[in-house]
Amino acid sequence: MAHLDPVTLELVWTRLIAAVDEAAKAIVRTSFSTLSNEANDFACVLTDAEGRSLAQNTGSIPSFIGTLPGTVRAVRAAFPADRMQPGDVFITNNPWIGTGHLNDISVVRPIYLESSIVGFAATTSHVPDIGGRIRSTEARELFEEGFHIPPMRLMRGEVPDATLLALLRANVRTPDQTEGDVWAQVGAVSLIEDRVRRALEDHRMSGLSVVASEIFDRSEAEMRRRIALLPEGTWRSTMQTDGLEDPFTFEVEVTLRGGEVAVDFTGTSPQQRRAVNCVMAYTTAMTHFALKALLLPELPNNEGVFRPIHVHAPEGCILNPRHPAAVGGRAATGHYVPVLVFSALAEALPDKVRAAPGSPLWIMNLAGTDTQGRTFANVMFFNGGTGAGATQGGADCISWPSNISATPIEVVERTAPLLIHRKALRPDSGGAGSFHGGRGQEVLLECEAEDVGAVFVTERLRFAAHGLFGGASGAIGEVLIDGIAVNTRQLQMLRKGSRVTVRTPGGGGFGPIQGSE
Amino acid sequence: MTGKPALSLGIDIGGTFTDLVLHGPGRERSDTLKVLTTHADPVQGILAGTRRLLEQAGAAPGEVGRVVHATTLFTNALIERKGARTALITTAGFRDLLHIGRERRYELYDLQLRPPEPLVPDRLRFEVPERVKADGTVLVPLDLAELEERAAEAVEMGAESLAILFLHSDLHPQHEAEAVAHLAKHFPELSVTASHGIVREVREYDRGSTATANAYVAPLAERYLARLGSELATLGLQAPLLLMLSNGGLTHVAEARRAPVQLLESGPAAGALAAAFLAGEEEGRLLAFDLGGTTAKLCVVENGEPEVVFGFEAARQARFIEGSGLPIRISTVDLIEIGAGGGSIARRDPIGLLKVGPDSAGSEPGPASYGRGGTQPTVTDANLLLGYLDPASFAGGRLPLDRQAAADAVGRLAASLDISSEAAAWGIHDVATEAMAGAARTHLAERGRDASEFTLVCTGGGGPVHGHHLARKLGIRRMIIPPEAGVASALGMLAAPPRVDKVMSLGQRLDACTASFLASAFGGLEEEARQVLADGGWTGEEVAAGRMVDARCVGQGAHMPVSLPPAPWPMEDEAVRELIRDAFRLAYVARYSRPPPAVPIELVHARVVLRGAKGAAQINAGSGPDATEAAANWRRIVIGGEEHEAAVHRRASLPVGFVATGPALVEEAGSTLVVGPGSRLMVLRSGNILVELN
Repeated sequence: MAHLDPVTLELVWTRLIAAVDEAAKAIVRTSFSTLSNEANDFACVLTDAEGRSLAQNTGSIPSFIGTLPGTVRAVRAAFPADRMQPGDVFITNNPWIGTGHLNDISVVRPIYLESSIVGFAATTSHVPDIGGRIRSTEARELFEEGFHIPPMRLMRGEVPDATLLALLRANVRTPDQTEGDVWAQVGAVSLIEDRVRRALEDHRMSGLSVVASEIFDRSEAEMRRRIALLPEGTWRSTMQTDGLEDPFTFEVEVTLRGGEVAVDFTGTSPQQRRAVNCVMAYTTAMTHFALKALLLPELPNNEGVFRPIHVHAPEGCILNPRHPAAVGGRAATGHYVPVLVFSALAEALPDKVRAAPGSPLWIMNLAGTDTQGRTFANVMFFNGGTGAGATQGGADCISWPSNISATPIEVVERTAPLLIHRKALRPDSGGAGSFHGGRGQEVLLECEAEDVGAVFVTERLRFAAHGLFGGASGAIGEVLIDGIAVNTRQLQMLRKGSRVTVRTPGGGGFGPIQGSE
Repeated sequence: MTGKPALSLGIDIGGTFTDLVLHGPGRERSDTLKVLTTHADPVQGILAGTRRLLEQAGAAPGEVGRVVHATTLFTNALIERKGARTALITTAGFRDLLHIGRERRYELYDLQLRPPEPLVPDRLRFEVPERVKADGTVLVPLDLAELEERAAEAVEMGAESLAILFLHSDLHPQHEAEAVAHLAKHFPELSVTASHGIVREVREYDRGSTATANAYVAPLAERYLARLGSELATLGLQAPLLLMLSNGGLTHVAEARRAPVQLLESGPAAGALAAAFLAGEEEGRLLAFDLGGTTAKLCVVENGEPEVVFGFEAARQARFIEGSGLPIRISTVDLIEIGAGGGSIARRDPIGLLKVGPDSAGSEPGPASYGRGGTQPTVTDANLLLGYLDPASFAGGRLPLDRQAAADAVGRLAASLDISSEAAAWGIHDVATEAMAGAARTHLAERGRDASEFTLVCTGGGGPVHGHHLARKLGIRRMIIPPEAGVASALGMLAAPPRVDKVMSLGQRLDACTASFLASAFGGLEEEARQVLADGGWTGEEVAAGRMVDARCVGQGAHMPVSLPPAPWPMEDEAVRELIRDAFRLAYVARYSRPPPAVPIELVHARVVLRGAKGAAQINAGSGPDATEAAANWRRIVIGGEEHEAAVHRRASLPVGFVATGPALVEEAGSTLVVGPGSRLMVLRSGNILVELN
């Protein structure tokens, strides 16, 4: 295979990344889902013809590292290249080959140069609604969670499949918006195809394979080199989390050896008959995120970076559930993965790791009828503080490992019958230490309509974000309705005038508390 | 005003130089002057420069009819956190809003990331009882006594300036207005900014951030503008002082003192206007390209007007990363800024690829070839090795370049990349130019524009050096290189029209809007805007109004600006809705290449832009018929990795009408124009050089 010089590689690769970034911006602008347009809860990827990730949009959140290339490979397996034609677009939201829950719809478009496939453009985006129960952890099986699309052909030579669209529309609460978001994604993959073709033409290249192999090999070599700089050995970490009736146990064993990392989650709690299971693709994505942030943060995501990383979770545990486990709330489980990996590697990388953050992300879904008799559904996000590190404190109220902002108060009050009385930092909620954990927040809101159903996703109400090297834990979170702590694993009904207090957890502290030694 | 036509004086304060220009009808040429910016007291530099310029031009201070001024002082105060000690008063329960911010990380993999430091420290954040609901219901009346106490505490703690942010004040500004009136009575010396007075847009964090930034620079602006006015007056200059806004329009002192945050991007706006002005009116679509020591700036200019957006970020933590700065919701020239300039450092990245910037060697130590101790290879070093720069005449001969130092630095990088020095030098030029091309490509594509319809206007020391390669990458066929225009932005400003932008939240579905509701919303904004113009003495029929809405499909998070026809509008509800629906559909298709989904339209904000007549300014004629083409030298240059023998011309000696075909170089004191093989260059009557790419 021809060898490419470092200048041409830089020029072409940068241009390919720019193409997926441009597509990402188009999705932000045109999508209906707040999760996509406010929270970057989507991803755009370019793979080579084998479905290996060559470029991913820069702002893409950790949950999507490597999941889309897996989707592309699943589509390739279902539809061999000789059954594809220019202008085809494929679609799926299967959680196991996608991103871990039905709400993320992925689309895949083969990129043709002349008559052969040189790569794939793929996007995934959280649609406003997919039917089923509203993001409830109470679902027992996938079938309760919404409309399931196996890998299918959405467009044949630019012509959409009307049957599939009719079925999709009939099964979701917001047919126009959900379909609108599918088209936003189709627009994005078409844009990537166009830009990639132009880039290849400008550089007189007949395909992506030479660039891809070179980038993968160089990235892999660098990742191996960085791993090899660390002490060899095996480290373990165990953590308890809120769980359901009983706490969950997370266990990890991280082995650094010969320029490779093996991460094994054996010992983690079994899968549950509730929507808290996190599929393997998501577990792997979160593990990749943690290791990349520690070892090679500056390099754009691509297949090569992750080749030396091996992730294992036994089938049937909450980090690798079997079909048809319910998976809607997978983030509340998966967000613990990078924290666990940091804890395990604390001794090996004391200057890099952070104490535990006040995450996973908190969510409150409200649905009901407003005072004018219109139905409404509203979703709010709440972030805690991040953990401290060896040289600095944690940040107050910031999303981690995800990257989801809170909706502005004025926007919330104009779209839902809610009145927000307070949004403030929680004093002293960051764990003490040589460096303090970041603070959580307190939000007090009042319901202005009768009979509003509130579904919560909360974590760290029982088990606080732990500190490292003598740092104290952050404050645990609290959810009160009219001053009384409630069970956030169950649907809560709010009356007009009900007041909900949300206190997000603080991050853990780092290092011994001053004066305590 | 007497019969004698008045002169215009333009003053542009930049980081290093203050540029002055004097222009007037009946004068054959503009007089110009460049003096060093006096950072400790910028007014001193202006006064000295003005005195010298008037003397040089043989003009009396009384002949000056207006003074137009652009400055980077306020934006520097924000970046360096050297503004006033500022307090914030919010609705009870929300004093931490600006500290909490967006709750997002601007960089995902940086474990040590710091959010931007709030302008107001914890102890200066106060709350007062008051609450207005989204529908305008007053839930808690404003407690004026508490307000007074909190303000007194703030003043006690040394606050010079105060921002007020009450929830929903974009729709219901009464409480903020009451608070301002009350504080004006009791604390006449305190500078007070209410959020609704700066930007009536929904989203409390963005509005509050804008208001706080305004409060932060207001006392400085107040003192500076008052002093500048009075000092100019003591020179005998009684003419009104006009300020360049971030959007490329002008405003008067009273408005600038009221809302100085509008001036933050004053300097770059003047730069974009200069490019448009120098290129000449016959050029419809321009891509202004300015390449300096640390950054490249690109701006789309259509029909003489730079493209404007309605928000930007100031004082970023990470200069080129979106989300790392303070959101400022004002109308501003839409500038693409890239961290690739002459001083940008080239390096090997972790996987052995060649990267350029955004780190810069600056001017100290500067590029390796400056011989001031810089050892890292920069873009300038590469350009020297490619033969584009003449080591002896660089910067007018004041800074001879050390070719060997450049070769050593680039050679070390080449070795680490395992390529030849020649390949590395071209690679640095190529990668830096690609960074600019990539940004421009995306910017134009997102607006549904085709690069090949644009003319590239190259300015700055590096613009003419990289322009040809940039044009090639973008498929641009025409380049214009104005004569080295040291004081171009000062001159460009003189042609700017007065401008007022007003915005208010609508927050309504289109199908719920009546013709009379919309007429009163837009009419009200136009009235307010007209008043600001009238206060500056601009009245009459020259005033042109533009109406716009920020609109989206119900449920979409992002909205887009939609231009609407000017008044009068139909009286019937459905006719007005149809007018807006059509405009929305057109804008949507232009932007996204497909029709909007069948979802009702929501109007988020109403915007009005009022402009007065453009000022008069003209370009100095080129060096004219006395210029003679001197015999060209020849120099070996590298383009596209290939060596060429290029004719070297001195710009000052090229007559109007001179034509040549590349490869060629045209040198002047501050820059060199590189023309690739086959492209044709021509000196125009205006003194501009036109390059047509084959």
